[in-house]
Amino acid sequence: MPRYAMVIDLQRCVGCGACSIACRNENNVQEGVYWSNKITETVGTFPNVRYHYIPTLCNHCGAAPCVRGCPTKAMHKLENGLTMHDPKKCIGCKYCEFNCPYGVIYFNWEKPHKFWRSEEAVIPGATSSPKELVEKVGAQGTPYVNTERTGTSATLRPKGIVEKCTFCDHRLARKQLPYCVEACPANARIFGDISDPKSEVSVLLGKFHPFRLREELGTDPHVFYIRGYNPARYRATKGGV
Amino acid sequence: MSGGKILYPVWLGVLGVALLAGAVAGIYIFVQGHVLFNANDVLIWTLPLAVYIFLALSSSGLTLLSALPLVFGVKKYEPLAKRLVFLAIATLCGGFVAIGLELGTVFNMIYIMLSPNLSSPIWWMGAIYSAELAVLIVKFWKMHTGDFHSGFSRFLGTASFVLALIAPLMIGSVFGLTESRATYFGPVMSIYCLLMAVLSGTALFLLYDMVGGRLSAGAAADAAGRSVQDDFTRILTYTAGIVAAFTVLKTLIESATTIPAFLVYHKFEHLFGAVGNFGTEVIFGLFLPFVLLVIPSVRASARGRMLAAALIFAGSLARHTEILLAGQSHPVGPKAEQFPQYVRYLPSGWELMVLVFALAVMLTLYTLGERYLKLTEAPKA
Ligand code: SF4
Ligand code: SF4
Repeated sequence: MPRYAMVIDLQRCVGCGACSIACRNENNVQEGVYWSNKITETVGTFPNVRYHYIPTLCNHCGAAPCVRGCPTKAMHKLENGLTMHDPKKCIGCKYCEFNCPYGVIYFNWEKPHKFWRSEEAVIPGATSSPKELVEKVGAQGTPYVNTERTGTSATLRPKGIVEKCTFCDHRLARKQLPYCVEACPANARIFGDISDPKSEVSVLLGKFHPFRLREELGTDPHVFYIRGYNPARYRATKGGV
Repeated sequence: MSGGKILYPVWLGVLGVALLAGAVAGIYIFVQGHVLFNANDVLIWTLPLAVYIFLALSSSGLTLLSALPLVFGVKKYEPLAKRLVFLAIATLCGGFVAIGLELGTVFNMIYIMLSPNLSSPIWWMGAIYSAELAVLIVKFWKMHTGDFHSGFSRFLGTASFVLALIAPLMIGSVFGLTESRATYFGPVMSIYCLLMAVLSGTALFLLYDMVGGRLSAGAAADAAGRSVQDDFTRILTYTAGIVAAFTVLKTLIESATTIPAFLVYHKFEHLFGAVGNFGTEVIFGLFLPFVLLVIPSVRASARGRMLAAALIFAGSLARHTEILLAGQSHPVGPKAEQFPQYVRYLPSGWELMVLVFALAVMLTLYTLGERYLKLTEAPKA
């Protein structure tokens, strides 16, 4: 049984956000909810400032606090290391969201895809309303809904339950890479079986000194970050007093 | 009884309106979802959960008090036992109303039974409080049918005592066991919840006894009633003192530590305002009533006690709300991209309706129980 993990090469990542857009399309993620997200930080004092960008997603933790705390086992681990959520079992207590140290779980506060439920024409007298468009294309929820998502997770998650990244388990089942990995134009996301020493992820983790988010908590995250993007140069110096 | 005679129908009318409004609000919340709450993906749990914590802990406090006659055999309190158990049941029912409306979906509740997760503090909290409610109801039924002392009845008393002791620890561990939020102080939160259970439960009972006694000019006015009130006021004073010392210590540690999570926590905007590092609700809902209770003349006067108990009771809800909010006031990880650095909160009208509904259910049960269930019955000597 593989143990899936992701390596994110921060030197390759250009911060374009293609991963987040791809994820949104693939998993029918609604506005305000982020399965794929980022942490940005600006450091220094002008003119010596830098901008840092770290893509984030569910870390599919080995010791996942979200799983440990879920009262119904709706949040659960698979043998391949994926942290999965069963919408049918979820009672919407939000304890997993409270417990996740990485801020990657979101709650559906109301019926999803509010925009596409609107009956108001975008341009009155000229265009159809979002709701009419969805009906016209015979789709569910949004005109571009991806029904391949259906199965292990709901196509559209109903109000009153939580949701989060699944490492695209539905694609893995078809031997395809997670869609964010596929969509990354810079090949900054490398995915594979960490239990196989010959896999690309294992090779990279041996080659570079990786770090993981909030590693000190002992949650054993399975998203690893290597390198860092920094083309800046500086004149060799010993500083001064 | 004349005051009571005029007030009673008015009181029933008020309860009726509150129940109806609460039920309508509850249905609307289920239909529309929690978008009606001023909660979001940072402030995940808000007033409705605080109401649950407050009422569930108060219920545990009442059950612990009932153990004085029922488990530890303090004869003097036997006439109170049935009422204490009944109040514990009614208060817990109010708490269940609040948690029911706090859950995103109650339709999936079946999975709590079918698919239990024994490593989840929330599961244990739910299981223990459900068991406690069941045990209390059977115990009450036994007492109602005159069985105070049979082996089974005693067992029920002991079981409810043990459950009431563990339940607050479980509520505390829901917060204390979370890795991501150091500001909830780990296991210490469980001890705090147990202390708060005794504090708010005792305040609630004293308030109930004094208000009920005034309306009926009955039990509370006699010598035995006064002696019991003296004892319970003493318990309230000691517990308020311990909670106050605990709160001062916690606040000092919070102020002195340099752990990053606490540095963010300091910037929390208190819901009710603050003086220095102490929230207004701590000053007026804990320190002030403690000082009042320490003054012998105030402690001895009915008005002084009632004021202190009312301040402590209302202050307990305010403190639970503040503690709950403070630990969630800043976004975790990437959520900082979407939300401000510190998220402010004021309850929405719908959230206030959850409070109204929960209290209305609790108070209606009190009222009906007092009327029809002979709550002052004691075992025959
Ligand atoms: S990142 Fe959060 S949601 Fe994902 S497995 Fe870890 S604790 Fe659970
Ligand atoms: S919100 Fe759902 S998945 Fe999360 S802990 Fe509660 S029941 Fe489990």
